[in-house]
Amino acid sequence: MADKYLVEPDVNFVKEIVRLGGGDVKKCFQCATCSVVCPISPDNKPFPRKEMIAAQWGLKDKLVSNLDIWLCHQCGDCSTQCPRGANPGDVLGAVRSYAISEYAVPKWLAKAVNDPGKLPVLLLIPVVIFVVLGYITGLMNFSPGGEEIVHSNFFSSWLVDLIFVPLTVWVIAVFAMGLNRFIKDMHESAVREGKTDKSRVDLAGFLQALVRILPTILKHNKFTECGENKDRATAHLMVFYAFIGLFIVTNIFFVVLYVFQIHGPYSQLNPVKWLANVSGIALVIGSILMIKNRLAKTTQSTSYKDWYLLGLVLGLGLTGMLTEMTRLAGAANLSYFMYFIHLVFVFNLFAFLPFSKLAHIVYRTVAMAYAEYANR
Amino acid sequence: MDKKYSVYICTGCGIGDALDIKGLCGVPEEEGVPVKTHSFLCGKEGVEVIKKDITDEGVNTIVIGACSRRVNYDIFKFDGCIVDRVNLREQVVWSHPRSKYPVVTEEQKEDGIHFDSLQMLAEDYLKMGMVKVEKIDLPEPYQVETFTRKILVIGGGVAGISAALDAAKAGYEVTIVEKEASLGGYAAKLRKQLPMANPYDGLISPIIEEKIKEAEANSNITVKTKTVVARIAGQPGEFVVTLKKPGEKIEFDVPFPLPEEMKFDESGKEFDVEKQFELYQEYNKGKLDILQLDPNGEKFGAVILAAGWRPYTPEGDELGYLGLGKITDVVTNHQFEEIAAKGKIVRPSDGKEAKSVVFIQGPGKGDDSDFDFTGSVTSLVALKQAKYVCDDYPDGMAQIIYQHMRTPGLWENFYKSIQQEEGIFLTKGDVVSVAQSGGGIAVEADNTLLGEKIQLNADMVVLATGMVPATADDPVVNLAYRQGPGFREIDLFDGYCDSNFICFPYETQRTGIYAAGGVRRSMTIEETVEDAAGAALKAIQCIESVNRGVSVHPRSGDMTFPDFFFQRCTQCKRCTEECPFGALDDDEKGTPKPNPTRCRRCGTCMGACPERIIGFADYNVDSIGSMVKAIGVPSEDDYEEPPFRILGLVCENDALPALDIAGMNRLAYSSQVRFIPVRCLGSVNVIWIKDALAQGMDGAFLLGCKHGDDYQCHFVKGSELASIRMEKIGDALEALALEKERVTQFDIAIDEYDKLPEMIDNFVKMIVELGPNPFKGF
Repeated sequence: MADKYLVEPDVNFVKEIVRLGGGDVKKCFQCATCSVVCPISPDNKPFPRKEMIAAQWGLKDKLVSNLDIWLCHQCGDCSTQCPRGANPGDVLGAVRSYAISEYAVPKWLAKAVNDPGKLPVLLLIPVVIFVVLGYITGLMNFSPGGEEIVHSNFFSSWLVDLIFVPLTVWVIAVFAMGLNRFIKDMHESAVREGKTDKSRVDLAGFLQALVRILPTILKHNKFTECGENKDRATAHLMVFYAFIGLFIVTNIFFVVLYVFQIHGPYSQLNPVKWLANVSGIALVIGSILMIKNRLAKTTQSTSYKDWYLLGLVLGLGLTGMLTEMTRLAGAANLSYFMYFIHLVFVFNLFAFLPFSKLAHIVYRTVAMAYAEYANR
Repeated sequence: MDKKYSVYICTGCGIGDALDIKGLCGVPEEEGVPVKTHSFLCGKEGVEVIKKDITDEGVNTIVIGACSRRVNYDIFKFDGCIVDRVNLREQVVWSHPRSKYPVVTEEQKEDGIHFDSLQMLAEDYLKMGMVKVEKIDLPEPYQVETFTRKILVIGGGVAGISAALDAAKAGYEVTIVEKEASLGGYAAKLRKQLPMANPYDGLISPIIEEKIKEAEANSNITVKTKTVVARIAGQPGEFVVTLKKPGEKIEFDVPFPLPEEMKFDESGKEFDVEKQFELYQEYNKGKLDILQLDPNGEKFGAVILAAGWRPYTPEGDELGYLGLGKITDVVTNHQFEEIAAKGKIVRPSDGKEAKSVVFIQGPGKGDDSDFDFTGSVTSLVALKQAKYVCDDYPDGMAQIIYQHMRTPGLWENFYKSIQQEEGIFLTKGDVVSVAQSGGGIAVEADNTLLGEKIQLNADMVVLATGMVPATADDPVVNLAYRQGPGFREIDLFDGYCDSNFICFPYETQRTGIYAAGGVRRSMTIEETVEDAAGAALKAIQCIESVNRGVSVHPRSGDMTFPDFFFQRCTQCKRCTEECPFGALDDDEKGTPKPNPTRCRRCGTCMGACPERIIGFADYNVDSIGSMVKAIGVPSEDDYEEPPFRILGLVCENDALPALDIAGMNRLAYSSQVRFIPVRCLGSVNVIWIKDALAQGMDGAFLLGCKHGDDYQCHFVKGSELASIRMEKIGDALEALALEKERVTQFDIAIDEYDKLPEMIDNFVKMIVELGPNPFKGF
């Protein structure tokens, strides 16, 4: 164990946690019921009791690099059983949200993503980019005409990729920078707190651990161990697989387009198309279920970060499906409009992925892999 | 009075089924005493039978063989009659099942082998009850010569003022004496105080100003500031009080008893009584003896002691390791309150804003305890003072390190509300060191909830030191009592002046003097106000009991008081010295002067007196002694293997109820024991035990309250004194070639009734193993 730890309480950090949904953090009186009832907390230095007091004291350094905040799946058992109503699950959610912003660059963008006042601007960014770039390159045609509704006639696939390929590179770069610091910090903190027997992070070992935990993630094993919020696992699983499905579809069609030079729209009989449709429907149903759960659950706090993401996911699914449906219905203008909106959602979700709650897809995966590697 | 006896036996509750009632009736019949039985004696019809005899036959001395005297006492209450209750139910039939003690057949009756243990038990108890009523008298109330209802309140803080107001509102005249120039005490020195009412969630302005105004406006209350008590002489109902200015020396200053070491000469021999009195007068030169009443003294009926507390002052470098006395910005909670009362929280060293303050609640060093003289109030004060820091500075930070955060009852609401303050941080922890560090102070703590050794940096550090009761420094009440001016042996309670904290709050070891507030324990203002009401009610109860000539507590309503047959007094002073309440003041010759209204009627004096000249109308050496002698002790002349007989003297306060509860739960125990209830084990005179053994009983035990540091004795010292006396009797037994194990004392708490049968049976078993008393049959 390390030498004495200099405690520097940070009132502003406490206020930030409160703003991000951990409004009951100060109610904790450290009975550790949470750590006892948590179905997925490890026996050695279990969470979330220690995270609660660190949050109460505003000890940012003990939290943002803390691997345990990512091992938490916000089952909600702790919040339900908490005798003081301190809602540890929500507090950890708020801490995670803070940690995402902390590791994302540029900071101002992270701030904007978590600020409801900036939402119109964020939505306007893709609109401006699309229109300006479309106008300059001439890859956007506002009166595509023709018998068949072909979206690329309106919004050229070239234009899409002109925007989204660099965006992917950027997202990867942002994540890479964040993860670089995150893994380093997380390891240091784990060593300091005695949560690991490893002295350094060995890449091969880490990747092996990543492979080992993939089935757990794919099957949502941890999530289903939860008690209180078990019902959330189904919705989450639907959305999760919808994204995987859509990711596969996008990649296949990318190859089909550039390698085989075959343009859409593709036949409804195409099995890839089936996957796309199933995934789209799963995305819509999954996100509606999530919203319903959130609205029904008064015990769990839902802050802007949650609504932002859920709104985007549902919007993405709905506009995607509507784009297709209006196309099949032959409503050309409506379909093109839908497609445009759809792309705005895609842009928001994708471009701000490292800054929004959705970044947990990366951080939690890495943290879980690290926990596996570090024998947490 | 001419006694006209009658015995009544109830056959209900299983008594009639288990016992040979006809045989039992033979006991009084043999003595020529009329006896009646009824199957439901406590019913209307049953009671009517007795009442009819009282009116028609002039019966006035009644023995009722039925249930325990602890039940139906209101039903079997006949004014002007001596009544004794023989417990045939709980102590006989319910605790001795026929399955274990079978009835003997007609053939077995005279065979010299068989006997009916249960019938013998019942008959013995009935005989004992009959002889008891023969030996006792109806009590007559003791009346004081002069009587006043005025109440003296010592201390003009929140406790004193509240008590005075409560008593005044109940119609009693009250005088408050306050040593300072103005009323208010510590409560007037605060910036803010803890809440007084639901929802108990925020600080309020001190309520004391309001209280002072109210007291000053009340015509029943007289306030005397810059005044202290020189002495309180006399007894409840007629205390004679001499008041004086603080620091003044007057002849009515209370004299102190001669210290133990001055009672002996150089060779270690104790001076005689006259010499000791001479030395005592020399030792208290300029002060008049306690028996000299101040002719100008003011009369009071009862006293409320609300002398409060002072902030703890560490001895020498006691808290130096926490920086106190070494670092200017390390202060006690009391000093912090002084700073807060003046204005914004600033550092004493340089007057700069103290925005970061660490509150230390315990001495640390691996010690789990809090500081001395603390309690829940210290936790609450830390929370309150932490709030000051956040109130004064929007970016203020108060960090509290505690071993215990005590916020009992609704104070939890206060804790919850303070906890919500973003700038207040709490952790359990063990403070290791406090040191100057740059411009601030570094506090190191171990075993914190933050999981490791931590360091906190602060502008200021506050230590949660305690509240020392005024009685720890000074007797305050200055009683003109032979045992001394203060409360006896309160070191056991760190100087708090309680007599039995749990059972009898407010009551001190001196009857008529009731404590309230910080002198009783560390407490909040809200608790103090409530405490004051309790003490005021106790004082009123005392005055009204004195007026009726009855005891106050714990034997509330008891009309008896100790009676002394002075012609035979040998001036041994044991009664004066052993009385737990200092009720007796001996004169220069050593003859005790009783003060009946100081007395709690425990009978400790009666137990102490070697001449056996002290007794009560209904409880004396003869009455109990005769009961002992009434116990039948069968010998080998009666039976081949005669049963053993063991005497059990049972304290009425806890042991007797425990025995009853055992009976109610049908817990069985040996039939060879005969129980006699006593007021307190302190009242047990060793002659009873000697008599028991002399008449052939095989052993004796005392059953009473726990003694020692955690004593439960209702009369403080009774069971302890008894244990010392039993130790001595053991030596005497050995001189008679009797095993000293034959006499012993057991401690029992009221809730330990389930342990009683084993306790009794093991003792009986031990006695059986020792064999019968060799003096049996002589």
